[in-house]
Amino acid sequence: MDCQCCNKKPARIRICDVEENNIGEQINVCPDCFNLIKRYMFDITKPLMTTPDVIREVQGLLTAGETSLATLPEPGGITPVGKEPVPVCPDCGMSLSEFRARGRFGCPRDYEVFAEHLDPLFERIHDVQPARHQGHLPEKTAGEEVVQRRQTVADLRKRLDAAVAEENYELAARLRDQIAELEAQPKAEERS
Amino acid sequence: MNEAFENFPHILGEWLKGTGPDSDIVVSTRVRFARNVRGFPFTGRASDAQRSDVLKLCEDALKQVHLDRSVVTLELDKLPELKRDVLVERHLISRELASGEGPRGVTFGRGEMLSIMINEEDHLRLQWIKSGFDVDRAFHALCKVDRALEKTLPYATSDRYGYLTACPTNVGTGMRVSVMVHLPALTLKENIDQVFKAAQRMNHAVRGLYGEGTRAFGDMYQISNQTTLGRSEEQIVEAIKAIVPKILEFERQRRGQLYTEDRSFVEDKVLRSLALLRSARRLNVQEMMSHLSMLRLGVDLGIISDVPVRTLNELFILGQPSHLQESEGRVLPASERDTRRAELVRSRLAAGSN
Ligand SMILES: [Zn+2]
Ligand SMILES: [Zn+2]
Repeated sequence: MDCQCCNKKPARIRICDVEENNIGEQINVCPDCFNLIKRYMFDITKPLMTTPDVIREVQGLLTAGETSLATLPEPGGITPVGKEPVPVCPDCGMSLSEFRARGRFGCPRDYEVFAEHLDPLFERIHDVQPARHQGHLPEKTAGEEVVQRRQTVADLRKRLDAAVAEENYELAARLRDQIAELEAQPKAEERS
Repeated sequence: MNEAFENFPHILGEWLKGTGPDSDIVVSTRVRFARNVRGFPFTGRASDAQRSDVLKLCEDALKQVHLDRSVVTLELDKLPELKRDVLVERHLISRELASGEGPRGVTFGRGEMLSIMINEEDHLRLQWIKSGFDVDRAFHALCKVDRALEKTLPYATSDRYGYLTACPTNVGTGMRVSVMVHLPALTLKENIDQVFKAAQRMNHAVRGLYGEGTRAFGDMYQISNQTTLGRSEEQIVEAIKAIVPKILEFERQRRGQLYTEDRSFVEDKVLRSLALLRSARRLNVQEMMSHLSMLRLGVDLGIISDVPVRTLNELFILGQPSHLQESEGRVLPASERDTRRAELVRSRLAAGSN
């Protein structure tokens, strides 16, 4: 069965509207469309939409070609198709309007994602123009080693989980040793 | 780790010693830097697992830096509420960190001049407190810690915006200088509003340290810079060094006026406060702070000579609710706290006890 949203990819997920224990309309969609649909469905800040209404919104997006995460309507609500896309941080999911409502960033990447909206805000808060940093900055490479070690450990952990799942205990033991060695590193440096 | 903590109520921070430049008015100078670790969401958006990773990374980095042999690290989610509140009253952690959730901690040295909060609003809040008005020393001491940490800890920064922080009011240098001042004469003379407005015009804020809104119990205020972006750290230091002396001069002028023009008025106030604190059997915290404030003024004007400023500074902290309860080793109802507070104050102010 084809996805009832994009009518192209095979449908894998069934969405049912439930009203007072009665199962209403059922719609079958593909995982890609479901990812878009989720952004509307699980938004508790907006009035509830029926599945057919959500599907129409998503189909509108698909025809407009607006499906990359950065240009998607924020999880906080629906931007009618054709309107200016609202930036959303791909790392932490923070949208511009959520940032405005909370007054707090979600992660360092937000500063890049919302860059074009920040200067006027910073100029006002800090009473300065241009809103550019003037003070000390650490060297770019400082601490990079820690970041890389963390990334390596995370990768090894994933491989370890996979090895255990495949019951490849020989590999798992080797990976475990590598992880232990990497994690012990800061302490080894400390002793020297 | 916990052994060190047990000692707390008896060893008070260096910054309370009542010395340093302008210590007739300035209690302490605090400099803090907000820092975040690259590759993680800010604390407010981080999962417990991520917070725990950040905590571990920071603790490891702090160990490598060898700040001070006598550094104490406390993991706050493992600490009972009363002990967390003691740390707040001691100015070692913020109320937000005390009442927060998930993996978080604080590291501080024995002198309690350096304290480092982990997983507050930002991953790291480094602060250095000095007794008196001493921005340069506090700033340079904190820079040393920060420069050592940045070698092992990858900070989140950008060329454009400097140090990236959870709140846009801290971005840039992430630096806040706060000077704690005692302004009883400006309060008595009702000049505090003028000070508030003048500071505001120069992008600095003055607010009461205890109490809410315009009510500042104990006449203790905090002056701090409001802007962190577009100015270098040195410029922030220079700005506060330009503003604070003006406020100090204003306060001194009003103190002089009180002493020459309203001598009996101010003597009466100070000596009544001393008599009250030496006799009261029950004292609530606001009452204690407002009379201690008059005593502090009395010491400076030479009306009282047998009470050191350090004792007064310490009573401000030791008489707070959590400190009283911590030294009793249990939670006390308010009425009993008032009795204990009165006992504490009487014993510390008894003639000849200092
Ligand atoms: Zn589809
Ligand atoms: Zn983000």
